[in-house]
Amino acid sequence: MMIRKRILSLTVALGLSAVALSACSSGAPGADAPVPTGTVAGAPSWCGPKQITLGLLDGFGGNSWRLITTAAGADEVKKCPSVTKYEYADGQGDTQKSISDIQGMVAKGVNALVVFPDAGEAMLPALRSAYQAGVVTVPYRVNPGGKDGVDYDAWIGADFSQDGTNWANWIEKNLPDGGNILFMSGPKGNSQGEDEYNAMTGILDPAKYKFVGETPFEPTNWDPALSQQVLTAAIAKNPKIDVIVSDFGPSLLGALPEFQKSGRSIPALVTSDGNSLGCFYEQNKAANPDFKMMTVATGNDNVRLAVQYAVAKATGGQLPSTTKFEAPIFEDSVSSTPNPVECKSDLPGDIFLSAEMPAADQAALLKK
Amino acid sequence: MYAMERQVSGLKRPSRRASKGLITVGVALVILLVASGLLAPSSLSQGAVLGMLPFASVLAVVGLGQMLVVQQGGIDLSVPGAVSLAIVIVSRIPNGDNALLVPAILLAFGFAAAAGLLNGFLVGRLGLNAIIATLGTNALLFAAVLGISGGSPTTTTRLLQSVAGGLSFGVPNSVFFAAAVAVVVILLVKKTVAGRRFEAIGANPVAARATGLRVRVHQMAAYVWGQMLYCIAGILLAGITAQPTAFQGNTYLIPAVAVVVLGGTSLLGGRGFPLATVVAAVFLSQLDQFNLAVGVPYAVRTLVQAAALAVGVALYTIDWSRVRARFGSSTRSTKPKPTPSPA
Repeated sequence: MMIRKRILSLTVALGLSAVALSACSSGAPGADAPVPTGTVAGAPSWCGPKQITLGLLDGFGGNSWRLITTAAGADEVKKCPSVTKYEYADGQGDTQKSISDIQGMVAKGVNALVVFPDAGEAMLPALRSAYQAGVVTVPYRVNPGGKDGVDYDAWIGADFSQDGTNWANWIEKNLPDGGNILFMSGPKGNSQGEDEYNAMTGILDPAKYKFVGETPFEPTNWDPALSQQVLTAAIAKNPKIDVIVSDFGPSLLGALPEFQKSGRSIPALVTSDGNSLGCFYEQNKAANPDFKMMTVATGNDNVRLAVQYAVAKATGGQLPSTTKFEAPIFEDSVSSTPNPVECKSDLPGDIFLSAEMPAADQAALLKK
Repeated sequence: MYAMERQVSGLKRPSRRASKGLITVGVALVILLVASGLLAPSSLSQGAVLGMLPFASVLAVVGLGQMLVVQQGGIDLSVPGAVSLAIVIVSRIPNGDNALLVPAILLAFGFAAAAGLLNGFLVGRLGLNAIIATLGTNALLFAAVLGISGGSPTTTTRLLQSVAGGLSFGVPNSVFFAAAVAVVVILLVKKTVAGRRFEAIGANPVAARATGLRVRVHQMAAYVWGQMLYCIAGILLAGITAQPTAFQGNTYLIPAVAVVVLGGTSLLGGRGFPLATVVAAVFLSQLDQFNLAVGVPYAVRTLVQAAALAVGVALYTIDWSRVRARFGSSTRSTKPKPTPSPA
C-alpha cells in the first residue's frame, strides 16, 4: 500500500512540475518530427496531447508473473486517453515470432512499442529497424544490448544492483556481527545474479561476511527441484548458514523445510516477494526462531515505467525522471517497514502483493 | 533387424544369480558411497540423504517406466511432457483445495493413459520410429501443459505436500511409493504369465509372433504402463517441490534413459532389470549430491553426469571380448576378420 501512495505522490509531484516544464520536453536526436507537447486534463503528466497507437510486445507471456505484468502494462496505458488504440502480442518464447511481431506492428503503423526482449541481443536488429522507422521503441527489463538514442529510444532496465544493495544493508543491520551467506540465483552466468553479487560484496565487509558455496552464486536455474538439491547439499556441508539470499524467493518453498529435516532452524532469508512465500513465512516462523525475512518487490511494475516513457515520448508528455526501475523494499519481518510480511491465504500463491495491481484483480487474472 | 536375436538366453531354469547390471551398478554405488564418506562426508549426513532420497525415488519411478518401453526395443522421449503434465494437473486443477486432489489425480492418470495409447498406436500399430513418434507426443503433452496452466502450475495442495513430501518412520514417503512401484513392476514382469510374454516379445518379436503372441498389444502396453509410471513420478515431484514450474519434467529426459542403461537393460530390447534400474537411480542421485558436497563447479557437475551415462553405455554395448581379441591379436599371425557389429 505504501508503494501505491509513493507512486501516487510521485505522479502528483511530476504533474505539478510538468506545467512548468512542458514547454521544454527533451526529444532525443534521431526521433521523428517534433510532437506537440503539453498535458491532457485529468491524465498523468507523462500523457501528452498527441493521439497515438501503442503496442506491447512480450517475448514469453506464459507464466503468472508475465500475466500480471502484461495486465499492469495495459492498465498503465489506460491512464492516458491520448493512446487511442492498444495492441498486444506474445512471442511465446519464440525469437522468430517475437521479431516478426515487432515488424508486424511497425507495418501496421503503431506509434510506440514497448518490448520485453527476452531473447536479448537477438532482438536488437528488429528494435533498431523499428526505431529507424520512426516508431518510439522502448525495450524493458532484459538488456538487448545497443545504446539509448541509437538503437532504440531508451532501455528501461531493472536495477538489480539496487536489490543487492537493499539486501546487503539489511544483512549489515540485522546481523552486525557477520555471518555465512548462501546466495542462490538463476542459470550460471546470468547478469542479474552477477550484478546483485557485486553490489553485495561492495557493501559487506569480507572479514565478517563470508559467501559459502560457489561464487558469485550457486546456480539453480530458478528451478525448485534444483534449488532443493543445492540447498540440501549446502546445509549438510555448512554447519552454519546465517542468511540465504535468493533473487527468486518462491522457488525456495520446497527447499527451506530441508533445514527442519536436519534439525536446524530456517535462517534469515532476503529475497524477492511472492504471496506463497509470505504465507510460508507465517506458517513456519513459530517453529523456526532464526527465520526472519526481507523481500524486495519482484518488479511487475517495471513495465509501467516503460509504458510511461514510451507514451511520453510519442504523445509529447513529460518524460519520467529515470530510465532505471528500482524495485522498492517490500516486506521486512523485523522492522515491519515499509510492510510486515503479507500473506493472503485465500488468494493464489503465485500473485505478487508488491505489484501496484490489487491482489484480487491479480487473482481474477490467474483464474481465467 | 528382427531376424537378429537380441538376447542370448538358455533354456535352463533362470538362475538366482544377480544380473551383470545389478552387480555393476551395485559395485559402482558402493564405490561412490565409500568415496562420499572419504571425500565429502557431508553428503552422507542424515539431512543430505533425506534430501537426496525423494529425488532418487522420482528418478527410479521414471526410470522403471522407461525400462518397460526400452524392453520392447522402443524409447520414450515424451517423459518431460508426461511428468510436467501430471504436475500441472495435480497442482492447477485443485488450486489449493484438498478435496479436489483425488479427482485431479484420476484426471492425470486419464491423460497419461491417453498419451500412452497414442504413443502405442503410433509406434506399435503404425510402425513409426519411436524417437519421432514420442517426440511428437511430447510436444502435444506440453501443449496441454500450457493450455491448462498458462505456464504456471501454482502451489501444490497441502495434502499432496504432506503425502508426497513428508516423512514416515524417519524415511521420506516418496521412498515407500517408489518401493511399491518397483515391487509391482518386478512381480508383474518376472512372476506373471503376461510379464514373461512381455519379456519374450522384447527379446525376439519375430519368434514371439511365430509362437502366436500378440506382439503389437504388448508393445502398445509398454507405452501405456510407461506413462502411468511417469504420472506417478510427476505427482510425487509436485508434492516434493511444493511450488513446481510447468516445465519440471524437462530435467528427467536424459537421466530416465541413463538409469535404464546403467541398470543393464539393452537399448535393443529384451530382459529388463528393474532392481538394477532402481539402484542406478540412487547412484545418479547420490552422484549429484556428491558433486554438490565436494563443491565442484556447475559445469563440471554436468560433465560428470554425461560421463556416467557414456560409461554406462560403453560397459554394456561395447563387445569387450572383441576389443580384447583385437588388441591381443596384434601379436598373433591370424587376425580374425572383423564383422559388422549390430550396435
